[in-house]
Amino acid sequence: MTSYLVLLGILVCFSAILALALNFQWGLGGMVNFGLTGFYALGAYASALFMLKGGANSFFAVVGAMAVVAAVCGLVAFITLRVTEEDYFAIVTLGVGEMLRLVALNEDWLTKGALGLTGVPRPFGDRIAPEYYQYFLLALAIALLLATLWFLNAVARSPFGRLMRAVREDDVVAATLGKNVLWVRVRIFAIGGGIIGLAGSMHGFYYQYIDPTQFSNIVLAYGFMAVIAGGRGAHGGAIFGAAAVMALLEGSRFLKDLVPALDSDQLAAIRIIIIGVGLIALLIYRPQGFLREYRLKVSP
Amino acid sequence: MDKNRRRIIKSIGAATASSLAAPYLNLAHAQGSPIPLGVALPLTGNAGAYGPDMAEAAKRTAAKINAGGGVLGRKLELFIEDSESSAAVAANLSHKFINVHKAQALVGYWGTPEGMSSRPIAIQNKVVLMVSSAANAITEGDTQGYVWRFQLKATDWGTVISRATLNKLGFKSVGVMGLQNAFVLPIMKVFEEQMKANGRQVVDSLIYNPEQPSYRAEVERIFGKNPEAVYCFGLLPDFVSIMKEVYRGGFESKVVALSIMADAEGKFVQAVGPKVAEGIRHFQPMPDVAAPGYKKFLQLMDAPADRVLLFPPNTHDQIAITALAMEKAKSPMAVDWSKQIIPVGNGPGQEVDDVVEALKLVRAGTAINFQGAGSTCDFTPNGDQLGRGMGQWIIRNGKSVFVEYAKP
Repeated sequence: MTSYLVLLGILVCFSAILALALNFQWGLGGMVNFGLTGFYALGAYASALFMLKGGANSFFAVVGAMAVVAAVCGLVAFITLRVTEEDYFAIVTLGVGEMLRLVALNEDWLTKGALGLTGVPRPFGDRIAPEYYQYFLLALAIALLLATLWFLNAVARSPFGRLMRAVREDDVVAATLGKNVLWVRVRIFAIGGGIIGLAGSMHGFYYQYIDPTQFSNIVLAYGFMAVIAGGRGAHGGAIFGAAAVMALLEGSRFLKDLVPALDSDQLAAIRIIIIGVGLIALLIYRPQGFLREYRLKVSP
Repeated sequence: MDKNRRRIIKSIGAATASSLAAPYLNLAHAQGSPIPLGVALPLTGNAGAYGPDMAEAAKRTAAKINAGGGVLGRKLELFIEDSESSAAVAANLSHKFINVHKAQALVGYWGTPEGMSSRPIAIQNKVVLMVSSAANAITEGDTQGYVWRFQLKATDWGTVISRATLNKLGFKSVGVMGLQNAFVLPIMKVFEEQMKANGRQVVDSLIYNPEQPSYRAEVERIFGKNPEAVYCFGLLPDFVSIMKEVYRGGFESKVVALSIMADAEGKFVQAVGPKVAEGIRHFQPMPDVAAPGYKKFLQLMDAPADRVLLFPPNTHDQIAITALAMEKAKSPMAVDWSKQIIPVGNGPGQEVDDVVEALKLVRAGTAINFQGAGSTCDFTPNGDQLGRGMGQWIIRNGKSVFVEYAKP
């Protein structure tokens, strides 16, 4: 059981990193990213391909994947926001995300198409005994999660963080004050993209097998659920949100142990209802989420 | 942080902890306690039509074995979970089966993504994985004897369909449409190679993506060239869209498909109506319905004697072979009994088609050659199944009429 909890812990950590990225882009920056799944897939594939085809070690593969996703996100934001308004940006991200998923599905020469990439290497996978590896991966995932949280909190509390909020609340006011709104948004989306690349790399390390079916739009739904449940704009909240979503998804599988009369196919249907009801209840009783966004306090 | 917020965070923490600690409440695997088996089945998702019958087969097979004395004097305990037809969910389930329930056999695994994502987990943990999926890649490479396929592999599907086309159906020109899917592509490849090698014309061939809102462009490209027949390889949702487009366009080519598309437990005809479905031929790996093992399985399932169950017999065989191999190895550990799968499945030994009888023989030290419900349960050393064939049907007045059964 301990092993399973450790593996679940890893799952929560990289889901939380993904939620943090979305929270940074949408919660703090006000940029809706409906292409989250595609960018997440890009991170997973880029990291795996750097290792499998490029011969890179896992550290450089992760850094490379973060750079690739950050560059693609930055480019998408730059091209789109130069010519169109914020609302259309969400639609463009949806299209780009779908495009990335279709590239992964169809470009057999690179991604092995529907068959997927097997044998994704793991950091220090050849040096740590398999029975202890999951503990190492959990420690690594926690360290990366905490580092991401620290970094995003530092950004949120910096002058750039204030600028992000200003652009989110009213970009015209920010522009009137002489701020380059386009450049701010490109940076927000690229930084978030880099973190999505990190989460995607962790996904590959965890499963060691990636295929296009793992990147369906349910990932997007879970990402937004985690951010909304955690409290939009609150980084700590996004972690709680991701943990709550994962606890609902995986914890509800144990209902059968608590209620043995429940049949497997009944449980399959009931689980989905419970997850839905849990989220609706959360939105009714705690619409602002678990935590609030960090705000500077003005002394009385 | 105000008190209210602290209280909320505490309650979330408590809820999370209690849901994760729940399995401890029902876990105590002592000596003599039941032998756990993990069963991952598609109860929801795009293959959700097939899971419930497979679950029923698993339960009835385990109950039969338990009523007959169990395995190694212990009962089998099934942990049946919904794989949601998803690779990631199946991988998480495999971890749960191995680490929480201490299962040494992972059975079910209907789709290729589910099988592929669980393969490395099974090998790393030295646990046997038994799949019902077809993609050749599942058993390729070094599986260390831990991965076993209870299904005809994809290239063999292509062989049987090609041979039926060349020998019986006689189409001189064909078009091919295939879903971008790991089990479809090998079928397409073999089929096209066989057609060309035997002087038949493949007018055009394309691979389409899943979950498109429309397949009009693909249908017009292939059917527009008026081949005698169009072969579609994919899944139910895309085939429903394709056939609606074919009907709308008034194309005349005959249509050949897989049964998971054109039958799918009757769901295809329900979706498009008998008029659109009329005359479609479909192929699918199936049990030998004349085999005594299959007839006994129908009785076990309380199913009519003419019922053709495609996947539940595989689930029966997976559990039966697991039980027999454990009994023969005198060990519930996969590292021991995985080596006994071929001896009990392939023989040489006394042919027996009832799992309880087979267990008695194994206990008595008699060598057996188990004949399953879904196949003869013969395997190659790398875990591919031999001895399973394919059925061919044609839809007449909304019903699938059986045409023939053939082996690769």
